[in-house]
Amino acid sequence: MKRIILILALLAAPAAAQDFSAGSGAKTWNLYAEKPARFEAKVVDILCELTGDCPENCGDGRRQLGLLRAADKALVYPNKNAQAAFTGAALELLPYCSADVEVDGLLIEDPDLAAKNIYLVQKIRLVGEENWTKANSWTKKWAKANPDAKGKGPWFRRDPRVRAAIAEDGYTGIGVEAEQPFIKELFE
Amino acid sequence: MRNIFTLLGLALTLPATALAAEGKRIQIKGEMIDTWCYFSGVMGGPDAVIGSAHHTCALWCSAGGIPVGLLGEDGQVYMVLKIEGDDGSAGGNTQLSLASHEITADGIYYERDGLKYIVVEKIVADHGITNLNHEDYGPVPGFAIPEPKK
Repeated sequence: MKRIILILALLAAPAAAQDFSAGSGAKTWNLYAEKPARFEAKVVDILCELTGDCPENCGDGRRQLGLLRAADKALVYPNKNAQAAFTGAALELLPYCSADVEVDGLLIEDPDLAAKNIYLVQKIRLVGEENWTKANSWTKKWAKANPDAKGKGPWFRRDPRVRAAIAEDGYTGIGVEAEQPFIKELFE
Repeated sequence: MRNIFTLLGLALTLPATALAAEGKRIQIKGEMIDTWCYFSGVMGGPDAVIGSAHHTCALWCSAGGIPVGLLGEDGQVYMVLKIEGDDGSAGGNTQLSLASHEITADGIYYERDGLKYIVVEKIVADHGITNLNHEDYGPVPGFAIPEPKK
């Protein structure tokens, strides 16, 4: 009876007890709660996974994509790609929709902030494939989708939607006129 | 004994999705935040990466496809997957228009592997930007506001 209870307890053990750092070549971002993590997973549409609302091709880039980890079936949420440019991971994973992949990156788990299974993906490859693909294509895809936004500076200074939002409500969102005293003081 | 073996058998054969909690209706009041800056601490503590101090960065991150979350009054982050029929959770227009806003959302709540999720069916109220913390923290990150051209 004790053995059976032990087996049941092990089955119920949380995935947090597992370490996925073996073999990882992930580069540090010097984040407080980061841990290198390399693992195999299936790329899934998170909304589909949770609700059964499943469009073609994981939503064609509209939706956030998740990693259903092979080792424990935990749903890992890639929030970030490998670029230090305010860019997400969905477009990096989209070519692998529904495929079994191996990823390498940083896992963020911070109980103080209820951060659990948050991931920064740095490299992706199909299971069994030799070559890795770096998860750093977001800005190139943005440039292709925004040919009229060419110019100097990073994408986020030139993005038409961001520029329109700032033109309407200011950098703080409180209104262009309302924030003028704050901005004036900031640069005095 | 037979019951225990039945339970053991079920635990071994049920897929993870079947073990996930069913969605349930909730109403949450909170701020629409960018989750990466909040969870990672890449730009400082959690109080500095919300509100008007972080508004420009929230726009950048939302447009850049970083997941948006609803930071509820209960202190929990609800990862937003859909807003009033718009499933553009990776850079969509609806979530971009709500960056840093405090909203009251009615929707379906899910929990999976330690994270909370919400499918917002209706924005009951949009209270606008109510956390005016830019005077306290300045712009976060510091370069969010470029120096005005003279």
